[in-house]
Amino acid sequence: MNKNDIFAIIAKHAQEVVPSLESHVFAQDDALRDLGANSIDRAEITMMTLETLALRIPLTELAGAQNMGELAALIHSRMAASVV
Amino acid sequence: MSELVITGIGVSSAIGQGQAAFTAALLQGASAFGVLKRPGRQWPLADAAGLGDAKPFIGAEISALQMPDALPRKALRTASWSSQVAAATLHEAWHDAGLSQVSPERIGLVVGGSNFQQRELAQLHAAYRGQPFFLKPSYGHVFMDTDLCGLCTELFGIRGFAYTLGAASASGQMAVLQAMDAVRCGRVDVCIAVGALMDLSCWELQAFRSMGAMGSERFADQPEQACRPFDAQRDGFIYGESCGVVVVERADRINRSGVSVYAQCGGSAMAVDANRNPNPSLEGEMTVIQGALRSAGLAADQIDYVNPHGTASLVGDEIELAALRRCGLGGAYLNATKSVTGHGLSAAGIVEIIATLVQMKTGRLHPTCNLQVPIDDTLNWVKNEALDCKVRHALTMSIGFGGINSALCLLRA
Repeated sequence: MNKNDIFAIIAKHAQEVVPSLESHVFAQDDALRDLGANSIDRAEITMMTLETLALRIPLTELAGAQNMGELAALIHSRMAASVV
Repeated sequence: MSELVITGIGVSSAIGQGQAAFTAALLQGASAFGVLKRPGRQWPLADAAGLGDAKPFIGAEISALQMPDALPRKALRTASWSSQVAAATLHEAWHDAGLSQVSPERIGLVVGGSNFQQRELAQLHAAYRGQPFFLKPSYGHVFMDTDLCGLCTELFGIRGFAYTLGAASASGQMAVLQAMDAVRCGRVDVCIAVGALMDLSCWELQAFRSMGAMGSERFADQPEQACRPFDAQRDGFIYGESCGVVVVERADRINRSGVSVYAQCGGSAMAVDANRNPNPSLEGEMTVIQGALRSAGLAADQIDYVNPHGTASLVGDEIELAALRRCGLGGAYLNATKSVTGHGLSAAGIVEIIATLVQMKTGRLHPTCNLQVPIDDTLNWVKNEALDCKVRHALTMSIGFGGINSALCLLRA
């Protein structure tokens, strides 16, 4: 699982939570807030992503991500850290 | 004081969605009972055990909800089944009453009922028991009954006020009574009353069965015969999914075109029995019948038609008929809407108000399903066939667990 795979999962869940993004072409520097996701939407998208990956990371640890690319990178780095 | 009138109706039920379909099915007595199929309504549920050879739960379910295209998918994604049905049903009533022409600050919303999401709650617990961390964050606001208020006020731009009102199986009618009060006192010009769908899980169905409130033991294998209010062979209520919406306003404040008046809310009463238990009270029921008549300025013999609570409760049906007789209503026509629709619990009171209104509008009274041996055959039952009848004055009753009683008179020119 690489960062791009994680990015694609975030994008898929973003489209579920914000249906108007159905035909949106996502970019690494896309900010979910700017794409119409409010704070609860963003928490949902992140949690759905973590559930898909079966990864327990407190949402507060991911709050610093400024855009989808950074979120994917943060999650990827936590995944790598959890593999012994 | 100006009349309070009902100017819009919306209804979704197992027998039909929308006023036209509901009315047609009601007048035909076309019920829709069967084994309950919605996920979460039968044992086993996740790791909870099955019940051996106990019979499955029976009832009536909405087969396919038509969701108006105008309602946005984003909002509906996290909406409970009850909220979705409420939104679709309110959409019908909203357009029926032409409410887009009313200032949003002058519209209120009272949602009758509580515990709207029991089934989805049970399923959620089952799904996340082993992994609670992944519980969706939106649960933190969606679990509340008031999410239905939030959803409906957002979808329809309502800005006056909104809240839920719990009165058990009298919730629907109580919501209408509260809507009447809100308009009468001038808090709003239009008040929408919703009787929300109470989405039961196998947990509630199990307890209703165990306490002897819900049938059917006798007709477990013949669901279409199981729901039999006021019949000698009845053995408890049968659940039926439903949701109803009515729009209440003051006749003298209507300043938009194209509005039809279904009926006047003639008078009402509510009373509580100082009794926590589910048993009914003759005194409480008589109090509200007489109170509603007094408030409407009507004598008992002026009532053409009674729409009773009539759940098929062994004790409840007897008590209710005794109350009607003692209040001098023995001469009015009588049927049992729940025999066709099933018991919608929080929605029942409003669905039955709607049933009364459509019967007044069509000039026909619907049959009572499975009324083969009425427990009191001296009354004026509408039995197997619909009956032509011009109803000018009607009375409808709703009774809820915990000693809650209400009655409402509806008048039509």
